[in-house]
Amino acid sequence: MVKALVACRAGVGSSLMLKIKLNEVISEHDLPVQVEHSSLDGLPSFDGPIVVSLSDVADELKEQGIKKEVVGIKNILDKDEIYTKLSAALKNIGEE
Amino acid sequence: MIEKIIQEDLIKLNIEASDWKDAVRKSAQPLVDDDYITENYVSEIINSVNEYGPYFVIAPHVALAHAPSESGAEVLAMGISTLKPAIKFNNADNDPVSYVFTLSAPDSDSHLKAMQELVGLLSGSEFYKVLDEAQSSREILQFIKDSVLNKKIS
Repeated sequence: MVKALVACRAGVGSSLMLKIKLNEVISEHDLPVQVEHSSLDGLPSFDGPIVVSLSDVADELKEQGIKKEVVGIKNILDKDEIYTKLSAALKNIGEE
Repeated sequence: MIEKIIQEDLIKLNIEASDWKDAVRKSAQPLVDDDYITENYVSEIINSVNEYGPYFVIAPHVALAHAPSESGAEVLAMGISTLKPAIKFNNADNDPVSYVFTLSAPDSDSHLKAMQELVGLLSGSEFYKVLDEAQSSREILQFIKDSVLNKKIS
């Protein structure tokens, strides 16, 4: 299983909703991903390879140059967007 | 669950706002009036957007206004506002915003079920139609209750 962290600013709203939708996608497509969620404060202690966030947060993380595969989602209700981007991330880390 | 944290007086229809800050304030006001959130919580939402950008515009036309629990989320609750006209939150992907959900989550997990139900509501098209066409807060709350009860959403 690959660990993915869903992170948002506060850790109680957007990230939770994104986690719910992400889990729907993961179970529908049977992806080998295990999801955790937290605020951005949880990022330093996260030891998995993938971080998922809303796109503006994701852009910022990429600019900071964090050593994770960063997935930015624009519309957290759009399962196609989530699936496409999550699959690409898995491919990038050599999992699919 | 979600029908228990949204009350009629927390739903405001056709709010006229001058800009996104005004929209956030007006949407949050009923929760402040009921002492579910503090004034500081509302300021914190606005400050965070000023600092980090519109991070809670989560889907086309939908904003989930919230801040960290410790900013002043006292009681688990959610407000719903519809904006007429829709307002730009400076989120290129999802502007303009027509629906503001103001979340007060005092801890990180008691609202899990309610959020799951909100995702369910927002994932269909019917909820938006109800939000657009409802004549009263009661109609919206009734739709939410029916949806949860009939397990149209999970």
